[in-house]
Formats: sequence, C-alpha cells, structure tokens
Amino acid sequence: MTSSNMTARKRLASALVATIFSVSTVAGLGVLLHKLSADSNGTLVATKEAGTITLDGKVYPKASLTMGVYADKEQAAADGFTGNKNDWVQYGPSNHLILPANTYITMTIHGYDGGEELNNPYFGKVVGTVGGTVNIDGEDITSLPYNKIQHTWTLHGIPSSSQDPLFVSVPLLRVEEDEETGWVPTEDPITNFKGHTITFSFLTKGAGNYVWNCEFPCGDNTYAKFGAAMSGYGYMSGKVTVTA
Amino acid sequence: MSEHDSVDLKPTPGDRLANFYKRSDVIQSTIFGVIVTGIFVILGGKFYTKWMPTVMSTDMKAIERLMVVFTWIAAPVCGVVLGVALYTFLNRHSGDTQPPDGPATRTNGPIVLLWSVVTSLLALTAVIYGITELNSSSIASAKNAEDAMVVNVTGSQWVWTFEYPKLGVSSHVLMLPLNHPVTFHINSVDVNHSFWPVQLGVKVDANKLAETIAETTPNKLGEFDVKCAELCGLYHAYMETTGEVMTVDDFNSWVVAQGGHSA
Amino acid sequence: MTTLDQHVGTRPIPNPKKSLITKLNAGTGLIVGIIFALLTYRGLSTVLDISIYELNNRVLLATMFMWSIGFLAGIGAFIGPIRWLIGEDLTAEEQLYLAGDGQGIKRYFKYCTDHKVVGIQYLWGVIVLLAVGGAMAMMIRTDLANPGGHFITPSVYNSLVGLHGITMIIALIIVATGPFGNYIMPIMIGAADMAFPRLNALSWWVLFTAIPVLCSAWFLGGIPTGWTAYAPLSVQAGPGMNAFIAAIIIFAISTAVSGANITATVITMRAKGMTWNRVPIFVVGATLSVAMAIPAFPTFMLAMIMTAMDRSFLTGFFDANVGGTGWLYAHLFWIMGHPEVYVILLPGVAILMEIVPVFVRKPLFSYTSAIVGFAGIVGLSFLVWAHHMYMTGWMPMLNGPFMVTTEMISVPTGLIFLVILGTLWNGKPWLKVPMLAVYAFLWNMLVGGITGLYLSDVPADMYLHGSMYVTAHFHYTLMGAALTGAVAGLSYWYPKMTGHMLHERASYISFWLVQIGFQVLYLGMFIAGAEGQPRRVVDYAEQFATSNKISTMGAYTIGIGFIVLLWAVIHSWRHGKIAPMNPWGAKTLEWTVPYPVPLVNFDTPPVVTSDPYGYGRSAK
Repeated sequence: MTSSNMTARKRLASALVATIFSVSTVAGLGVLLHKLSADSNGTLVATKEAGTITLDGKVYPKASLTMGVYADKEQAAADGFTGNKNDWVQYGPSNHLILPANTYITMTIHGYDGGEELNNPYFGKVVGTVGGTVNIDGEDITSLPYNKIQHTWTLHGIPSSSQDPLFVSVPLLRVEEDEETGWVPTEDPITNFKGHTITFSFLTKGAGNYVWNCEFPCGDNTYAKFGAAMSGYGYMSGKVTVTA
Repeated sequence: MSEHDSVDLKPTPGDRLANFYKRSDVIQSTIFGVIVTGIFVILGGKFYTKWMPTVMSTDMKAIERLMVVFTWIAAPVCGVVLGVALYTFLNRHSGDTQPPDGPATRTNGPIVLLWSVVTSLLALTAVIYGITELNSSSIASAKNAEDAMVVNVTGSQWVWTFEYPKLGVSSHVLMLPLNHPVTFHINSVDVNHSFWPVQLGVKVDANKLAETIAETTPNKLGEFDVKCAELCGLYHAYMETTGEVMTVDDFNSWVVAQGGHSA
Repeated sequence: MTTLDQHVGTRPIPNPKKSLITKLNAGTGLIVGIIFALLTYRGLSTVLDISIYELNNRVLLATMFMWSIGFLAGIGAFIGPIRWLIGEDLTAEEQLYLAGDGQGIKRYFKYCTDHKVVGIQYLWGVIVLLAVGGAMAMMIRTDLANPGGHFITPSVYNSLVGLHGITMIIALIIVATGPFGNYIMPIMIGAADMAFPRLNALSWWVLFTAIPVLCSAWFLGGIPTGWTAYAPLSVQAGPGMNAFIAAIIIFAISTAVSGANITATVITMRAKGMTWNRVPIFVVGATLSVAMAIPAFPTFMLAMIMTAMDRSFLTGFFDANVGGTGWLYAHLFWIMGHPEVYVILLPGVAILMEIVPVFVRKPLFSYTSAIVGFAGIVGLSFLVWAHHMYMTGWMPMLNGPFMVTTEMISVPTGLIFLVILGTLWNGKPWLKVPMLAVYAFLWNMLVGGITGLYLSDVPADMYLHGSMYVTAHFHYTLMGAALTGAVAGLSYWYPKMTGHMLHERASYISFWLVQIGFQVLYLGMFIAGAEGQPRRVVDYAEQFATSNKISTMGAYTIGIGFIVLLWAVIHSWRHGKIAPMNPWGAKTLEWTVPYPVPLVNFDTPPVVTSDPYGYGRSAK
C-alpha cells in the first residue's frame, strides 16, 4: 500500500473512465434485457380487406387475421408454427397483434385443444363482439357452458386518458375426446388434426396499447392452473397494438 | 455567524433557562420552525387535494380529509426537527480541522419529558382521530347494509368481473347507481388480488374461498377506475377496468340492456 | 472462544504442505460445490421425472442446498466440527493459520476467522449486492419512464421487481452489521476477536453461497411474486421460485449464526470497565438489531419451508382448496417482515448517533433516551405486523388494535430524533460527509416517518395500500435513513478499515447526487401513489406519465451518484490519503489501534473508565 502519487488529472480521468464504464455496463444490461423481451415470433399484422361495413350509421374499413391455438409444441409445428421454446399449450403464429384503428376486425381462431372447466364462469360469455356473438363452425352462439371450453381469447387494457377502452372476450369451443373420429387432442395431434374454426368480429377504436390473454386455466399441474403456459409470457398471452 | 454569542457568554444554567426566549439560537430555531410548520400546514392542505383523484363517495372524502389532518398533526413535529436542524446547519463549522468543543450537556430532564409527552399526545391524537373515522365508517356501513345493492366481485387472473345477483346481470365493468348504498362481496378464483375502485375510497383483498365484504355509497356521477392492488402475476398491471356512477334511471336502462331485470 | 493466549506463542504448522487446512479456499469450495450440485441434479433427475412440477421442484431445491453444503465442505467449514466428532479439536497452530495472519490478500478467499477479514468480505459482498440491486432498479425505472410497457415483458419486469426487492433487503440487513459489526464492533468493545470466530467465518460463507442460488432464479424463469413472495402466487410460480426459497433459507441460517455470534460477543467480551452504560451506541443498536433478527427470521424460513412443501410435496398450507389459507403465509411473513425493517434501520441510525457527538464535539444527548428509543422500537416491532394486513380481510376487528401499536412506534422513534437534535443543539457541526449524512437522515426519516403515520391509519391505508405511495414511503426509511447511515459509516470508518481516507471530493459529489436524486425520485413516486398508481406494475395509464418521468430522472441521478462513490471506494483503497490513527478525533476504542490493526487488536487489553462521549468544554 503506497501513498498517493497520482496526479489530480490522472485521478479525474480514472473517475470519468470508471463512471462511463459503469454506466455503459448497466445500459448494456438494459439493452440485453430489452432484446430478450422482444417478440420472439415477430408480429401478426391484420390484413386489410376490400370494402367497408356500415354499423349504426358509421362506415368502417375491414381487416382480418387468423390465429391458431395448439395443445402443445408438436401440434403447433404440424400447423407450421415452431416459434415457442417450451412444450406448452400455445397461441400462434405470433403473440403480438397489430390492428388498424377504427376498423372492423374479423378474427378467425382455429382451436385444436381439449379442456376441462373455467375458474371464472363469466368467461363462457361472448363479450364485446359485433352482435355479441361468435361463429363456431358455422353456428352463431352468445355463450358456452363453463365446461365446454378449450380456451378464451380475452382482450383488455389499462383504462387511460390517452386511449379508448376496449374489451373483447370470446370462449373457444373445446374439441371433445369422444367425437366421431375418436380423436384425443393431447395424445395424437398430427394424424387426426381436427379442431374448431371460431370466427368473430369487433371494432377497434383509437390507437392504443392493450393485452390479450387466455382466461381458461390451462397451465396444467400448477395452482389454479394459471402457472406455466398461463404465466409464461407469449404462450397464452400477448399484446395488441392498435395503430392510427 | 454571530448568533451564537449568547452561547459563549457562559451564563449560569438558571439564567439561560429563565431568559431562554432572549437567546438568538432559540429565536432563530423558532423562526425556522414556524416557517417550516407553516409550509407543511399549507402543503398538507394542497398536496393531497391536488393529487388525489376525484372524490366520489363519503369514504373517499373522509380519507382525503384524514390525509390533510394528519399532515397538520405532523407539521409541528417537522417544525421542531427541521427548525433545529436548519439552525445548526447554518451555524456549522467549516474547515479541515475539528471544531472547538461544545457545551458538555449530557441530558436535560425537562426537555426529554416534554418531548416524550408531546410526541405521545400527538400520536394519541392521530390514534383517536383514526379510530373515530374507522368507527364512523363501520357504523355507516352497518346502517346501509339493509337496503344495499349486492355486487359480487370476482378477481381472476387478470380480469375483474362483477355480478349483480338480484338483477341477473354480470359484467366486466362496474356500473353503480348514484346515492345508493352498495355492498361488494369479494372473492378470488385463484391467487390473491386486491379490489380497488380508486375514486370510491374502497380497497380490500380478494382471497380464494374467504369472502371479504366492503361497503360504500357513491355520491358523484362519473367514471372511476377499478384496479388490482396486490401483485397477482403476469398481467397484474393490466388487471384494471372502468366503472361508472350513473343516475338510477340510466343504471336501470343499462341493466335492461344487459338482459337483466331492473330493480 | 478466542482468547489472547490462543494466538500468542504458537509455532507454524508442522509440514504445512501436507496439511489439508492450508489447501482449501473459495476455489476448492466452488469446485466441490459445483460437483455436489451436478451429482445431486444428475442423480435425482434419473430417479425423479423432472417434467412433473413437484418432482422438478424437489430436484432443484436439493441441488441448491447441496451446492451450499458442497461449497462449505470444499472451503473447509466442516473440519472443526468433524474433529469434534472424533473427540479432537483444531490445534493452536491450525487456529492461528485460520486467523489468516500474514497471508496477505489470499486470506480474503479463505475460511478466515479474523473478524477484520470477515468485515471486509461482508463489505464487498454488500457492495456487489447493492450494485446488482441498483442496476435492477435502473431497469425498473427505465421501463416505467414511459407508459406502454414497451421496454421489457411483464414476466421480466415482475422478476426484476422481486429480485431487486430481495437483493436490496438482504444487502440492507447486512449493510451495517456485516462490515462494521464485524470489523469495527469487536475493536470498539475492546475484544480480541468475536466470541465464536469460526461461526463468524461460517456466517459470511453461508451467506456467500446464497448469492449464486438467488442469481440462478434468472435462468430458471425468474420469480413473479415480488420479494414478499405471497402464497398462493408463489405456489403457482415456475421453477425460479425454488431459487428464492433456497436463498432465503440459506440466508436465514447465516443471520441466525451471525446474530448469535454478535450478541454473545457483546455480552461476554467487552473490555474491562465497559459497563452497560458505557457501551458505544452503535454497539447497542447493532446488537439489538441482530438480537431482534434471531426470533424474526426463523418465521420467514418457516414460511419458505412451507412454500417449498406446498410446491414439492403438494401439501396445502396455503391452498384454500384443501383447507389452507394465504393469510397464514402473510402472518408468518410479516412477523418477520416488520421487525426486519427495524433490523435494517437500527444499525444505520446507531451509526449516525455514533457520528454526531464526534463531529459536533458534544456528548451524545440523553444516552438513556437512545436506549429507551431502541428498546421501545424492538419491543413494539413484534406487535405491529398485521398493519400490513389491514386490507386482506383477515380480521377487520383487529385493525384498530394494530393501528394503536403501530402509531405508538412514533414515540420511541421520536426519542431517536430527540437524541440527535439534542446533540446537535448548541454545537457547531463539522460538516464532513458523515455529518452531512446526519442531516440527510433527519429529513429522510422525517418524511418516511410521517408518511408511515398515514399508512398506519386504517382508513388512509385503505387508499394508499398497494400503491406507489407505499413504495416511496419504505424507500425513504430503508434507503433514505438506513442506507444513508451505512454510507456515512463507510466514510467514517473507511480510514480504520483501509488505512486511507475516502476520497473527499468524490464523496461530497456522490452524497449530493444521491440525496438530490433521491428526493426527486420519491417525490415523483409519492405523487404517483397519491394519484392512484398501484405498485409493481409494468405499465400504467397516461395520467401517471409525468410523475413517473420525474422519478426516472431522479433514479438515474442516484445511479450516477453511487457509481462515483464506488469509484471513490476502489480508488482510495490504495491511492487515498494515508489516514492518521484518529482522523476525526473520536473517543471510541477503535481509534486507539493502528492500521493495519494487529491480529488480536490490542497489544494490552484496554480498560475503560468512562463512556466514549466525554466531549465538551466543561466535561469533568
């Protein structure tokens, strides 16, 4: 331990270098976290469609998008979606949806999973769609029993002075194990690839940031079945950006 | 700083005590203390009323009043602490050598006693005021319980839902009639949540299989926020919705529009 | 117990090359620890199917505990106990070797029993934890700078919040009693070492093993629960939760060991003549703090064991479906949690009380009030836990009584203010950095205390509970008061611990950056809380944007301030001005020993004839 023979200039330089180094280390960590948080499956942009639709005297342009919900990774892969890491139940092809503002959105979800019971029976209701209905394999319905559901697609957001409230919740009819084909959704996903086609429409309002998630408890073997896929961001949850 | 001259005169303790009001250290600290107290009294009136959201129930009014009153109770404490601190700070010793020794005061019985009694009294005031408020809100809810409208509030990860059992309606937004007492029966279907209709001044946890109850009477028309105040996992931040206090007529037509039967 | 003659007149270890004890260090600890962990993981995962939730939890927990045990075995922590088992003990030579005398920088990486080495180990441990926790705070504030939650995903954010919380809590629990309680306190009371030097080494190295365990949470999917780890959310959480559980259990063992050791040292090893009314106030504060931790932490450990049981063996302590209740967890947690904030606060306050008389050159005002204040806080802190549970619905009838006990704490806290103000009164404070910190403490603790008054009140808490207001409040008390006290202690005792003065200009710059940034940060957060922003949210409504932006600017200022301090600490360690033996002119015993402090601290055991506060003109 020698006493200080450092010049003042050298000392200042060392302090500056140390500060810049530390700040950049922390900033680098931030960039890393930000990178890790990026949507691994990119975004799903709604396709603009020709024509308009008039509802309550207002004219809306049209757009549409299609998603699938799969019992596991293998099933998702069979539908051409391989983005997620864990072998959990998952939505695809992306969890980040981009929708145009003030538009009539038609959404189609192919649901290939089975299911048990809702925690909260409220999510058996169709809420926030045009006409209050959802079309399941050609049939319009307004609600499903709490024990006939595979998943839900529930869109909501933070009430804020800068964006309009938006709430849509749609139950997806489950694939029964004892249907004609004898197909068991979780056991043999590929050879008997069968599911329901669920279609519904809703109106976006102004630009804003929202989230969507599944309200059906499908994080198997966890408390309230809301762990695992339900709590792992990007499987049964995602965000919705409405762009002006 | 020349104000400490009186300190250096080395008067006898009796003189110092008898003429304490003439001492510049006492006078200066007191002036600082009064200014600080004044600032806190004024701020206490302004800070919370400025920043807290619209008051939409008597409970929320009571909370806002309580915040202001507690600031007033605390203001003299701030005055004493910051008054003395400011005075000594300005009376500091500068330089790289130690300051000269101060008076060797080990303790001062009357001051310690006075301090203890005054802080105890202030604490007691706060306790009594708080208990009174708590009591009056319990009495009010007991009184209103009879004719209150029941709303079953369900917290599920990460959406609130509301059911009006007598009206046969359920919703993800919380609509309430004006000036009508309402009793919330709060449950969770999974982890702990905390039901927080912000502008109504109500907050209580939602627990699984252990119903909690809260009561309020909204007294102002308009929209309010409903939030979750207990970390509940992935989308805790997004477990928010809106509510609205509406006239009884509007409320009834909303109920009918939702497919229920109006009260 | 170590006594003087244990260290005197001993010879070097015969055949040092062949002795196992000379070969073990943190490196061998790491190797054995990793081997233990790998073997456990490999072995158990062949027996248990780790794709099943509860079996995976068992395997991970076992792996983490075996890492800790392996590390301790590898560093030689069990040599002494094994000798006892075979009816022997370490030889005097081996004990001297363990004390690390003359081993230079290597002893800091060994199972070293010298309390001064342990103090420095703790100091760097704390610095690393604070740096990591601080970096996480920067990430949190960066995310909250703008509404929209675009910076990181909610799961990353929730993990950051939880890990920032627990990292800082662990850091603050040991921030004063670790470095200063180990390095300075034994010298302060005139002891040659701690009462149980090997336990002292054990407490540090056990704590050390908890750090990689906690870090592993990142790679196991994070923790979504916040540092409170409320059940049943913690039962639902993914495998990262095991890291949290294991780290807390290991940490609780460390605090129990260190608490027992510090308490025993102060009770039995004070210098001749140091009667209870002559004990320096820092020693009183630190001892009461660790003594309070001894009953408090086991409940946290218990809560974690129960969580681990619920997760690994599907018991239902906290599962309402099978008759358990989350309230049980909340009780166990807060019976630890509320004493724990005073475990953090007391040593910080006691450091400042130690500093004030030195820099004002007056005796500590009303030593008795200080003791009564501390004792009152310790006593009441065990009776207030349920004020964290006003809104849980557990038992609204008891809200009133808990409100009374909570608000009563303002009376002993008031005595602490009285002691500091009374000491300042009529003095001319010498505004070096440690003394500046006293003023920062007075303001920060005042704000923290008053906002605590609102929160203790049931109706007001009904609005404020779970909001950003609470976050701002406890940062004022834990960071604004306790951490400020510890940083003051660092610049005060730095000369004794390193032989150099802490770079003065850098400390001033750091002090002002940190304190000003602090006020800006938490003023913004108080406003956000009053406006109604919940805590622990990754995203918020537009109306909170301004207050959050203010907070983020304050946070960055604090970050830069602490980086400057870190530079000063590293720079001055070797290049600082050589410190005189007693740079502040203090009268406590640690300033009577030279640097480097001899192995047994004092050549002749000191005899104390008065308390260390004999400053003042007419002192007799």
